[in-house]
Amino acid sequence: MNKRPVILSIICVIGFLWVVVTFPGVFSPSVKKLGVFMPAVYGLIVAATFISFIGVWHLKRWGMELYAISFFCKMLFFILTKTFEITSILGIIFSVWFIITYLFYYKKMDANL
Amino acid sequence: MHLFFQLVRESVLFASQSLLANKLRTFLSLLGITIGIFAIITVFTVTDSLENSIRGSVESLGNNVVFIDKWPWEFGNSNYAWWKYMLRPTAGISDLEAITQNSKTAEAAAFRVDTKKRIQYYNSSVENVLVSGVSANYNLVSNFEIEQGRYFTELESANAKNVIVLGKTIQEGLFPSGENCLGKDVKLFGRKFTVIGVVKKQGESMLGNSMDNQAMIPLNFIRNIIDVRAETNEPYVAVKAKEGISNEQLKDELTGILRAERRLQPGTENNFALNETSVLSKGFDGLFDVIGTVGWIIGGFSILVGGFGIANIMFVSVKERTNLIGIQKSLGAKNYFILLQFLSEAVFLSLIGGLFGLLIIWFITLFAGDAFGMQITLTLSNVVLGLTISFLIGIISGFVPAYSAAQLDPVEAIRQ
Repeated sequence: MNKRPVILSIICVIGFLWVVVTFPGVFSPSVKKLGVFMPAVYGLIVAATFISFIGVWHLKRWGMELYAISFFCKMLFFILTKTFEITSILGIIFSVWFIITYLFYYKKMDANL
Repeated sequence: MHLFFQLVRESVLFASQSLLANKLRTFLSLLGITIGIFAIITVFTVTDSLENSIRGSVESLGNNVVFIDKWPWEFGNSNYAWWKYMLRPTAGISDLEAITQNSKTAEAAAFRVDTKKRIQYYNSSVENVLVSGVSANYNLVSNFEIEQGRYFTELESANAKNVIVLGKTIQEGLFPSGENCLGKDVKLFGRKFTVIGVVKKQGESMLGNSMDNQAMIPLNFIRNIIDVRAETNEPYVAVKAKEGISNEQLKDELTGILRAERRLQPGTENNFALNETSVLSKGFDGLFDVIGTVGWIIGGFSILVGGFGIANIMFVSVKERTNLIGIQKSLGAKNYFILLQFLSEAVFLSLIGGLFGLLIIWFITLFAGDAFGMQITLTLSNVVLGLTISFLIGIISGFVPAYSAAQLDPVEAIRQ
């Protein structure tokens, strides 16, 4: 089994902490105001992001792919609900950095579940 | 697709069997989620109910009505210049007359002044009734329905007839046997008033403006008894805009009329305030945001603790069933089947915990409404939110144990 590069470990730790911090946002009053099913949609995106970090932690390709999909869905959610803010740009910068780093190690990752 | 659903069904069956086998452990681990969901959804339910109640009270004042008062309605403004407003005159009948004569954007305008008195009918009496002296068009600017009888006619109002319209609670207090009160004479200000109408029950109001505890008499009658310009009697003029006229247009016109009527020089400040109910709604919006955020933080921590509880119990579950996982894998079970099996167990556990939490709230709402004097309702959006949180907590806290179970080597697993 391949040894996980340090940079991926750092990204995953940041990611896990980020999910712990953002998870309460799923049921925040601001998301609740967007609609009855909006917390569910946003929550699924957060859960998918969390699972993707577990995948990357285990050096699985599906982790990187799931992260890219959840990132795309999150952007779509922000745009469609018109909740895109200046602070989101910081999140985008981090996410793009994560994806580029993942792509760099993509070939070393395992294609199986 | 069929195979997938069959796998999910089998996973759920496995999960439920395992949960039933350890009842006490299941109960204890779902208790965390139950408390978390209970905490967060209770706060949301109470704030939603409070909000609805207050919005209902604000709407009963009328959305397209402007209130002319001495004091402006403001919320949370630390720079409220109360000393500037102290010397202003209160709203007067002359203001109402000027508006009635000159306004082109107002559909109706009415003056109201309040005092508290005792109303008596033979041996029955009600103390501290809010007696409102109102002008003829008050029924057009205020939202209330007459249940029995009628409102004052223009003639009764102009001639200061001793007639009275009672609120529902006052009627029930004065006529406890339920007899027809219309045409009966009640005693107020030491005089006889004929009951001509009863207002339909409105229920408790968060702003204290329910008509149930009020009685209305013609303004021209009460002005002979009390000082209608005294601040203690809280006089104000309410003006309702015509269809298609915005409150801003109405306020512009009213400013001109009132400045002319009060003979204010150009360049001087207005000595009156034009208030709207939207100010109250906006003020409460801020308050509810704060309550919601506090509840969200408290509930969020409870949920987090519940999630750790589930993750812990799932790790124990994986450890206990390691050899079983090994046998399943050696018999051909795929990784995703093992993953689904443990993940469904976590989600199932979490959903049951959430459902219990929601059930407790539902039971409380059945009885709490009477205790708090307002309707507390567990809304569909809060039920969906509670179940969503439970589901997500199940997924997040159950994925790591489930994935570690799926990754087990069958040979190693059987040995344990």
